[in-house]
Amino acid sequence: MRLLTHNFLKSNVKGTENGYPLNIEATTLKYEESPVNKPFILNLLPKLNYAAFYSAVQQLSPHCTEYSLPEIPSDIDTSNVDVIDEETIGKLHTWLLDVYLVEGFLVCPDTGRKFPVKDCIPNMILHEDEI
Amino acid sequence: MSRPELTGHASLFYNAREARKYDSSSRMVGIQREITERAIELLKLPNDRPSFILDVGCGSGLSGQVLEEHGHVWVGCDVSRDMLNMANERIDGKREAAVSTNKDSDNDEDEMEDDSSEDEEENNNEEPSTGDLLHHDMGTGLPFRPASFDACISISALQWLCYSNTKEQIPKRRLMRFFSSLYQVLRRGARAVLQFYPETSEHAILISECAARVGFAGGIVVDYPNSTKAKKHYLVLSFERAYKAPEGLTGVEGALLNQERAGVKVADKDPRKNGKKQRAPKKKKGGGKTKEWILHKKETQRKKGKDTREDTKYTGRKRPTRF
Repeated sequence: MRLLTHNFLKSNVKGTENGYPLNIEATTLKYEESPVNKPFILNLLPKLNYAAFYSAVQQLSPHCTEYSLPEIPSDIDTSNVDVIDEETIGKLHTWLLDVYLVEGFLVCPDTGRKFPVKDCIPNMILHEDEI
Repeated sequence: MSRPELTGHASLFYNAREARKYDSSSRMVGIQREITERAIELLKLPNDRPSFILDVGCGSGLSGQVLEEHGHVWVGCDVSRDMLNMANERIDGKREAAVSTNKDSDNDEDEMEDDSSEDEEENNNEEPSTGDLLHHDMGTGLPFRPASFDACISISALQWLCYSNTKEQIPKRRLMRFFSSLYQVLRRGARAVLQFYPETSEHAILISECAARVGFAGGIVVDYPNSTKAKKHYLVLSFERAYKAPEGLTGVEGALLNQERAGVKVADKDPRKNGKKQRAPKKKKGGGKTKEWILHKKETQRKKGKDTREDTKYTGRKRPTRF
């Protein structure tokens, strides 16, 4: 799973008020470079919850020191995408689309429910009593 | 037509074996691709920019592949882990191909000219997959924050919600939960195209009713309504109040498509066997096996050299009634 998906994912366990953003407990990470998809990033930015994205990056950073990934600015005005320069878009692309959470857990901030991630696929299946 | 929906839960039906069969069947791949192309056409997405699309019931990622070819980024969710594993294999394969071609073109461009095989040429413009996968049951509501996606597609999945596998699963409740969460996670102005196979017209009505109740406008588009094979139902949903579902495709085109896809021309059905409606009229009670008929039958059997009982005075006589 990429941070792109993480940014939109929320827990919908019964009794959860907000369930967003999910905390990441990473075991294995993966970095795969891909060509920068600028139009997509620009299209996405207004919808992106930048605070959640930034905190997710902070949670993952210690686990991927081997890849020397770029630092991202702590705040971006996502409402005006025209002023964002190419370099920043490249950095955002790297973190949004090129970093994968392979193994680990996603933790609901409200209930503490853990969703296991295996082979890049988070298991969001709910038990009968959680629906 | 067999209905896997009746056999049990989707995650049980699409086990490792069934998932592989599904993914490697060229007929299945062809049909899924065709449906996805049509669904994308119905979505009417802006051409100039890539969209972020939710694929509900993505299965082995066949529909995701088509979305990728159109340049979109997608998130797929499915209830069958085995199907997702197939999708994961595909995504990994694509990524590796992309990485290897990138490396090749960086390092040994000169050598490449000599020994570039067809495979590598095909892979040359390969890009890593843009899809992400999620193991999730759509009947329990989509786990995304509001206004996440630019569009939603679903190929041959929605009918699974019409069946209940346990006592707790009430089809209507699951459909309502799905549609109300779909209404939330889509961006205002987005569209959803959900192709499904309703078993009965009640299912189609139930599905479209639930969609309308949560506030969606739109309706069901039926393509090729006169063909048993090519007939497809698309539930097209929109936020615009005035939105009317477009007309479905009809006519010869459908028949042609159907024949091309099958690869083999199938002759028209025997008109004598055409449906159950033209059943032979029922024989009158008491008619049928008369003494003459039995004697005639025995005669023909004897002529064929078959072992037949002698004709006696009892032949063809009515059995005594018990009471």
